[in-house]
Amino acid sequence: MSHLPILPILLPLLCAALLILCYATPLAVQRLVSLASVALTLVVALALGAGLDEHPYWLYALGDWMPPFGILLVVDHLSVLMLTLTAVLAGFCTLYACRGHDRQGAHFHALLQFQLAGLNGAFVTGDLFNLFVFFEVLLIASYALLLQGGGAARGRAGLHYVVLNLTGSAIFILALGLLYGMTGTLNMADMAVRIGQAPEADRALINAASMLLLVVFGTKAALLPLLFWLPRAYIAASAPVAALFAIMTKVGIYALLRVFALVFGLQVGLGETQAWQWLWPMALATLAVGIVGVLGASHLRGMTAYMVIVSVGTLLAALSLATHQAVSSALFYLVHSTLMTAAFFLMADLVARQRGEARDHLVVTAAMKNRLTLGILFFVAAMALAGLPPLSGFVSKLWMLQASAGGATESGGSQQGLFWGLLLLSGFVMIIALSRAGSKLFWRQSPERAHNRRADPVRLGVVMAMILASVLLSVMASPLMDFTQATARSLLSPQDYVAAVQSLADGPLGGPPDAP
Amino acid sequence: MALLLIVLLPLLGAFLTATCVRSRPRCNSLLAATGPVISLTLALSLLPAILRGERLLAHWHWLPQLDLALSLRMDGLSLLFALLIIAMGLLVLLYAHFYFAGKPRDSQRFNSLMLLFMTAMLGIVTSENLLFMLVFWEMTSLVSFLLIGFHADRREARRGARMTLVITGGGGLALLAGMVLIGQVVGSYQLTEVLASGDLIRQHAHYPLILALVLLGAMTKSAQFPFHLWLPHAMTAPTPVSVYLHSATMVKAGIFLLARFHPVLAETDLWLYSVSTVGMATLLTGAFVAMFKHDIKGLLAYSTISHLGLITLLLGMGTRMGLIVGLFHLFNHALFKAPLFMMAGIVDKATGSRDMRLINGLWRHMPYLMVLTGLCAASMAGLPLLNGFLSKKMFFAESLQSPFTGILFWLTPALAAVAGLLSVAYSVRIFHNIFFNGLPGALPHYPPRKPSAGILVPVTLLAASCLVVGLVPQYVVHTLLQQAAQDALGGALPEYNLGLLHLFNMPFLMSVLALSGGLAMYMARRQLFALYDRLPEVDAKENFEWLMLRAGRFAERQVHRLENGSLQRYAALLMATAVVLPGTALLGVQAWGGGEAMTPLDPVTLLGALILIASAIAAVVVHRQRLMALLLIGSCGLFVTLLFARFSAPDLALTQLSVEVMAVIIMMLALSFLPQTTPRESPPLRRGRDLLLAGSAGGGVAALAYAVMTRPQQTISDFFLANSLTGGGGSNVVNVILVDFRGFDTLGESTVLGIAAVAVFALTRNLQLKGRVAGDSGSYWASEPHPMILRMMARPLLPVALMVSAYIFLRGHNMPGGGFIAGLITSVALSLQYMAGGLAWAHQRMITSFRPLVGAGLLLALATGLGSLAFGAPFLTSWFGHYHLPGLGELELATAMLFDLGVFVTVVGATLLILANLGKLMTLDGPGKEIG
Amino acid sequence: MELLMAISIGVLTTCGLYLILRARTFPVVLGLTLLSHGVNLFLFSMGRLTLEAPAVLDGSGNHADPLPQALVLTAIVIGFAMTAFVVVLSLRAAVELRSDHVDGADPDEDRRL
Repeated sequence: MSHLPILPILLPLLCAALLILCYATPLAVQRLVSLASVALTLVVALALGAGLDEHPYWLYALGDWMPPFGILLVVDHLSVLMLTLTAVLAGFCTLYACRGHDRQGAHFHALLQFQLAGLNGAFVTGDLFNLFVFFEVLLIASYALLLQGGGAARGRAGLHYVVLNLTGSAIFILALGLLYGMTGTLNMADMAVRIGQAPEADRALINAASMLLLVVFGTKAALLPLLFWLPRAYIAASAPVAALFAIMTKVGIYALLRVFALVFGLQVGLGETQAWQWLWPMALATLAVGIVGVLGASHLRGMTAYMVIVSVGTLLAALSLATHQAVSSALFYLVHSTLMTAAFFLMADLVARQRGEARDHLVVTAAMKNRLTLGILFFVAAMALAGLPPLSGFVSKLWMLQASAGGATESGGSQQGLFWGLLLLSGFVMIIALSRAGSKLFWRQSPERAHNRRADPVRLGVVMAMILASVLLSVMASPLMDFTQATARSLLSPQDYVAAVQSLADGPLGGPPDAP
Repeated sequence: MALLLIVLLPLLGAFLTATCVRSRPRCNSLLAATGPVISLTLALSLLPAILRGERLLAHWHWLPQLDLALSLRMDGLSLLFALLIIAMGLLVLLYAHFYFAGKPRDSQRFNSLMLLFMTAMLGIVTSENLLFMLVFWEMTSLVSFLLIGFHADRREARRGARMTLVITGGGGLALLAGMVLIGQVVGSYQLTEVLASGDLIRQHAHYPLILALVLLGAMTKSAQFPFHLWLPHAMTAPTPVSVYLHSATMVKAGIFLLARFHPVLAETDLWLYSVSTVGMATLLTGAFVAMFKHDIKGLLAYSTISHLGLITLLLGMGTRMGLIVGLFHLFNHALFKAPLFMMAGIVDKATGSRDMRLINGLWRHMPYLMVLTGLCAASMAGLPLLNGFLSKKMFFAESLQSPFTGILFWLTPALAAVAGLLSVAYSVRIFHNIFFNGLPGALPHYPPRKPSAGILVPVTLLAASCLVVGLVPQYVVHTLLQQAAQDALGGALPEYNLGLLHLFNMPFLMSVLALSGGLAMYMARRQLFALYDRLPEVDAKENFEWLMLRAGRFAERQVHRLENGSLQRYAALLMATAVVLPGTALLGVQAWGGGEAMTPLDPVTLLGALILIASAIAAVVVHRQRLMALLLIGSCGLFVTLLFARFSAPDLALTQLSVEVMAVIIMMLALSFLPQTTPRESPPLRRGRDLLLAGSAGGGVAALAYAVMTRPQQTISDFFLANSLTGGGGSNVVNVILVDFRGFDTLGESTVLGIAAVAVFALTRNLQLKGRVAGDSGSYWASEPHPMILRMMARPLLPVALMVSAYIFLRGHNMPGGGFIAGLITSVALSLQYMAGGLAWAHQRMITSFRPLVGAGLLLALATGLGSLAFGAPFLTSWFGHYHLPGLGELELATAMLFDLGVFVTVVGATLLILANLGKLMTLDGPGKEIG
Repeated sequence: MELLMAISIGVLTTCGLYLILRARTFPVVLGLTLLSHGVNLFLFSMGRLTLEAPAVLDGSGNHADPLPQALVLTAIVIGFAMTAFVVVLSLRAAVELRSDHVDGADPDEDRRL
């Protein structure tokens, strides 16, 4: 049997433990360990992806206890997508942080590795309570990372972020308990089957549990009205951390997809789950708030934070259509938006470093040292984010437009109209906001001479690489598009997932046949 | 292949010119010119085939999933535009070379952007795939943004650029939507198929929407009323840009779109009325305002607008002849407007001004330029023998046969005549005003600098071609134009003759009318200017900026109102959502009670629960007295412990107890730095709201708990009970679950604890508590940090406690206990030493670096788990065996215990790390040396 | 007994949430502790209530459901870790925000340049 599925968790966890054990090791070594771990994780993720062709579900029964009794890791297309994306993003962020940000606080790299372990764990586990545990791991790590470096802004944002998420965790436990109480199991596949068998009288309670989960994951995913912790947290975080946090909202979205497509969607189908009925209006509202926020931002980080919200709204709106094409396009957009918002956070930092007191606020200052280079990078990244051709933003927007065309039915028509309207509006507003920001930052300049240093080549290189990624994501989009389509297909056919788990389980899932 | 080269060569040129820095301007311009020259020859080489009516297609895959293909098409229409674009581009490059003389950097930047733009335009006109066309469409918007903002240091330039981008970019988005809709109706994005399915689209329910979106795209690009406003402000661009973008190419893109989609969208009333109305409005506004612009480029900009309106009007009429005339005039307009712009640039360079109130009587200084300008202006005015005259006359002819009925039928030619009149007036003005009209005013440079011979070359060529086309159109443009119209419309073309001058017919009279009227109007210009100046001044750019600013401010206010940084609001929102959403689901509950019999109530439990409830409520009531509240919370924890014990969960009871002790200690420590009382802040209303929220949430939770507890249970737990001993080697099932069945959770949870400890370390590392945070009361809970009694009690306690925890750890697998509880007890004992003795005392006697403990503990747990990999078993697979050792008797060894040991070490390390760093803060001399 | 348990859970949750909605850090911390008591009891009671039958194998057939107990134990420890962290965080915030108000002395200071 292959141990590949457990490695994305163990690698970073081991590195983190080692870094804590030898806390005095010089920073250089810590950086090396950190980067190596990320690189290896990426390799593992790719290997897992390569294996999906012959068996679409990697199963790993921890402690050799078969489902539904032990904890089972299940790696499918969606997991691989998220693992790979996380590894790539983490690679960029770590590299960027290695140029100084990791000096701001203690144990940056250890915490980063813990964070990755938590994220990867959440992506591969097939057990609901284990998902909770990994959520806690990634959350506590994120609290610590967010607060790296200290300062009033971080203190405030951190406190809010922590308190809200602790409340969220409490709600998570309630939902878990409720589901265990009703189904008597924790393995997601088993739970899905048992929910299918549940008597009519219990439906309402199970739906209530699903709604609680919607609230929990909605808070992580920054869904209106649960998104207000996000802007200040992302603004306050140090650049590489903020960039890494681009994946944090996506964890919430991943959990939503996983749990509702599998656990609650096995019988009725994702689109028919009660939560999905709510998702549509909430997502559109989120998108709208994001648009307003982008327009009203007074500095680059703020604008980017709201772009994250826009991306969440767009993503969930597309997902809530729950058709194969819509989900595929949304997943493609997920990859694009994660990388690009992250890149923009880093760019905001590069810009801020060259503008003295003004930092990245949209005010006029002396010319930057790397005005031309940064200007070009900004221009291209802005194109990608605003969805202008020929970059990945355009491809994903185009795909979502095509995919959301359910115009046949009346409701489908109005849905399409709403979604198109907001999608295009968001693009329009981004053009306005970004052109304004760009011309303020790069075109206008006060006479006094610049008093700043050149940009650090590695940092610059990281941002360039990320933007190049966006170019590749459009020029060579086809393979990824095929992959997201496969992902959507497997997501929307949870019975395959269940069958795979069943093949390993001792005893039929859903308990003995005679069970009610 | 040739097609691809035609489009890509300029792009290649753009990169070369941009990259080969520090090249001498001449080389750079030559380099820039090579690409287009080759493209031009290639395009011309295709001419015969095209004129034979062939249609060349080239196709490469890009994203089949989206039907987004890299496919090109060359037919008459494409070729007409392509030739126009390339040829004009070359002339502009030549012009720009002299225009930017002495500014090598600018020249280089212009060349590369210019070529980039040329690529985009060529892409638009040669795309076979609608989506691919969009790529270039947006590309033109972006590049024009950079070109208009060429002199970024000028405020006007920046604003003009932004305005253009927003308007044209917005139009592009609309076009995107339109194209996707078309693609969905037709089922393909290939132009050939789309053009073939005109009826399908026209009859489709979405037709109005599609038309609106496509028109929005075209109108914004071609500066049609009311989107024309960006064009005048784009004049802040350097003149070569204006020549190329704003007379020859970009503004024609919209027209091209209308012509291209004519077979699909036109020939409906909707098209007729919307397009021709817009065209007419643009024609008149442009012509009217142009007359009154004192800035040469301003005048030309508005005249361009009006000419674009004229062409739109022609296309709008939807007749086949109308389209032919429209294309013809588009061609002519490029020929006479470009040189006029060039002239404006030359005059600007020569005199340092573009204000026609100052620039007069230049004929003395630049007679040659005067002649050229005269030709072009005459053509613009529509004087006979010049190309402008032909298309203008045909336009009049068309206006007489408009498909309108009733009043509109007569209104059209009338308004057309008025527009003609106006255009004559401003044409006369631009000629007479600049070169005659008395002596120059106070010009920056006087006498004007002599324009270089080279810069006059492109002007000459264009002016000459105006004449040639005017005289013998049938030999020059006729065939290509015919083919273009043919390919645009498909089907047979009406009989017509470009050149034929039959005098004394209605159109001719209209021309004469326009000419004489225009002259008269120019005569009366002084009075007209005076009148116009009385009209209220409106600066579109200012309004636009103001609007943008307002939108930004408004958004900012809204954001601040929503995201106002109040945790209380966010938390309330979270709870409200957590109440409402599940609440809606719970509406469907038929019966809360599940029918299972309840376990009988016994007084002891009742009492305990009541105390629990009471102390919880009391804690809320007195929460302003913080110490009091803390103690009450502690008692809550105690009674929760008892409930666990009562309901047969000894492990939980033990854990809860030790955790509670820890937690209370930590909060006590914290409280000693915080105010002792909480001020009364929230108003009664707020408190009521909070109570309502919390109450409904709590009620809901209680109801859920009740509903589940009274329902029959089916669970997988029987498996654990059955296999605990045989499979896990322990009789304490809870512990076996923790270290074996679900050991992975435990690993995760100890990781959480470890991270928390490290995080606390990081938080407190450089934390300066300036003394203690001043409390409102000022009194502190412990005036003496290390009370005597505590010290007396603590020291003997330590060994006992350690022994107890060792015992609890060892028996954990079979009896209540285990690593966590043991670990917590140990750290409670050790921390007592801290409390009692204080740091300094403790440091002398105990290990003080705890981080390695945390790390080692985690590693031990991980290593245990990894051990099983060596035996080919999955991570965390346990192994155990029973041994009989002489003297010691039966002894069980299980890898699970090793794992549990790791957990134990982690817990001890983590808790002590936390406590030590909190305790460190008590030493008032600040952080001092790192602990842990 | 079930009813009693449900009521205590409800009360604990209510009090916890109410305290979380207060304006100062310390009550909020207390609230989080109460809330975690509440939800832990909830999770525990999902294994139904059993008297005098701990899940320690002793030959007798009747045992309490061990799984929720294990889960609650995990939850308790995680909760403890979080409490410890948020306590220290509240201290740090109190220093850096110059007040122990959850939004600090001036909620909008970091908006300004």
